[in-house]
Amino acid sequence: MKRYLTGIDWIIHALDYSSRKKTGIGNTSQVVLELDGFLSEEVLNERLKIIACEFPIIFGYPSRAINLCPYWKNSHKQGELRLKLHRLSSGSDFNDLMRIFSEELNKPFSNQREHLLFNLIYQGKRSFLGMIFDHRLMEARGAEAFLGLLGGGRGLSLGGSLYEPSHLNNWLDKFRAGREVNRVFLNLTEGRPRALEPVPDGVGSEFKIINFNQERSSNITQDALSQAGYLMFMPYILSKSIMILHQIFEERKILPQDYLIPVSIDTRPNDLVRKEILFNHLSFFLFRITVQEADSFQLILSSVKEQMYNQIKVRLPQAIKEASFLMRIAPLPLINSILKIMSKGNTASFSFAFVGEGAYVSNSFMQIPVKNIFHLPRVPLPPGLGIFFNQYQGNLNAVFSYAHGLLSEDEIARVSLGINSLA
Amino acid sequence: MKLKDIEGKLGRQLSIILSIPVVDLKPEIPLHELGVDSLSFVELLVFIEKEFKIKLMESGITREDFRTLHSLARCINKITG
Repeated sequence: MKRYLTGIDWIIHALDYSSRKKTGIGNTSQVVLELDGFLSEEVLNERLKIIACEFPIIFGYPSRAINLCPYWKNSHKQGELRLKLHRLSSGSDFNDLMRIFSEELNKPFSNQREHLLFNLIYQGKRSFLGMIFDHRLMEARGAEAFLGLLGGGRGLSLGGSLYEPSHLNNWLDKFRAGREVNRVFLNLTEGRPRALEPVPDGVGSEFKIINFNQERSSNITQDALSQAGYLMFMPYILSKSIMILHQIFEERKILPQDYLIPVSIDTRPNDLVRKEILFNHLSFFLFRITVQEADSFQLILSSVKEQMYNQIKVRLPQAIKEASFLMRIAPLPLINSILKIMSKGNTASFSFAFVGEGAYVSNSFMQIPVKNIFHLPRVPLPPGLGIFFNQYQGNLNAVFSYAHGLLSEDEIARVSLGINSLA
Repeated sequence: MKLKDIEGKLGRQLSIILSIPVVDLKPEIPLHELGVDSLSFVELLVFIEKEFKIKLMESGITREDFRTLHSLARCINKITG
């Protein structure tokens, strides 16, 4: 019984390869729990030892089976989940905290079997628990569910992640899906997408977190309702994000090519996420916005809504999942080259994601109240730029992620201000 | 087509989209309370276009028409009626 990698898993492995080649660090991210109390290092370490012992799959690594399919090979060596402890004085601020989380995230894992690393920061009477995770092992919602499992949450299991068939069947469906994906992609990726340059080499990611309290989050929801329509929150905040970054691109006087924005989506209900915590189950939308459209919020919004409708109509997210199985035969350097050729060197203008229904459903972690959950995703280079939103207990968080050296201090401040002005 | 039949078709499709039993989908509950988000909502609109041959996004109906399965069914019934 093997855990074969799906086509989407293999694309994530290709992004990891590309990121590793460019920066020396894989495609990683960090999810942070803000806790209203003291989380004992000893108790947490004990729990980490139990999880490490119980689930050797988290120390696995990719390999190829005799049928040439890539699969996740379980490690036979006992692994260790490392926990690093940091102390900040009560006079320290959020920037000090972010400095530690960013520094830790910008370091590579210690070996090929390490995919998770924990940072516990004490700041005054509060504790912050950050989990750095390898995207090849899990995605953002999976990471939230994994923290739920670590915290002793009920109904969570890694069982659904232990086995995946090889999917070496239904070839006609896969080729049909490939044709559909190719048709849409050729249409969307015509010409080089607009991107910030020069792209820095071999450096880390930095982050700005904008937390909206309940009242401000509710204001954004109301604005989305009145301006974009019922249940159009994601298109609304994506359109706002395009508008904010468009100002920066315009002031840099970058050639007026179209914007290309990949948006990762996970269509699974939360029940399923809690059973299939590991590996990748997401798919993508791909939005193309012209520079003329980007001058007007209404034009961006209407284009985003129309493209989303059309991509769902041709079942693009499902077709990407199906067609990507065909790519598994190719080695990672080859996939990396193909993606580069398809996008003429610039894979995208920036990345965007919105985790609407988070998979961390409890309001406590090891009996300590959770005040907030936010994500710090490193965006692969290029484009090394992204805006991400998540929600926890009715509060909205926005994370602006950028490669060090890509933006000036003034540009960073203006993007942060733009996001802040959403409410 | 009768209102009840339209409501039934919408309910069955939404249960597939959200992976929840059709009996849990009460027609009077607002869609966002059933767990519908932007993505699943557009999936439902695409189903309506294919099944009933109407584009609700372009038909000028109000926000209230989208609010529940019942109001959506009533609206489709009025347009196709």
